[in-house]
Amino acid sequence: MDLSELNSPEMQKFYSEEQQKAVITETVAKVTSECWDKCITGTPGNKFSSSEASCLSNCAQRFVETNMLIWKRFQSMQ
Amino acid sequence: MDFSKLDSSDMQQFYSQEQQLAMVNEMVSKLTDACWDKCITGTPGNKFSSSESTCLSNCAHRYIEMSLLIMKKFQSLQ
Repeated sequence: MDLSELNSPEMQKFYSEEQQKAVITETVAKVTSECWDKCITGTPGNKFSSSEASCLSNCAQRFVETNMLIWKRFQSMQ
Repeated sequence: MDFSKLDSSDMQQFYSQEQQLAMVNEMVSKLTDACWDKCITGTPGNKFSSSESTCLSNCAHRYIEMSLLIMKKFQSLQ
């Protein structure tokens, strides 16, 4: 195995793109899971009630904001 | 290992298929967990009651619906 090929610009680009995709996929899964737990408190119906729908929307926003806030705080500590 | 093969369209297709399979497995696993918790609240019987069946079906639909909504929201932030 020629490990120097791991430094090629193509490989770097590939790796970087895949890493970004993975972060987004992970975050979407996390938000879905957390907001499901927070907002769907009763028996799931054949559609979302309006309160469930608002809750899910708010939840996703707040989660993303929390994430960004923490990143900023973390960066300001560098 | 010849990294130039990573660019071949065969490799891309293989990778894409594997990624989709992984995502499906992940979703099935998550749905099973989440909907089991939400819908099987009493003692499991020797078959699902009709309310349990309805709940499980609704649950799976709602969870996927929510997952897609959140994915769209994230994509619109790009």
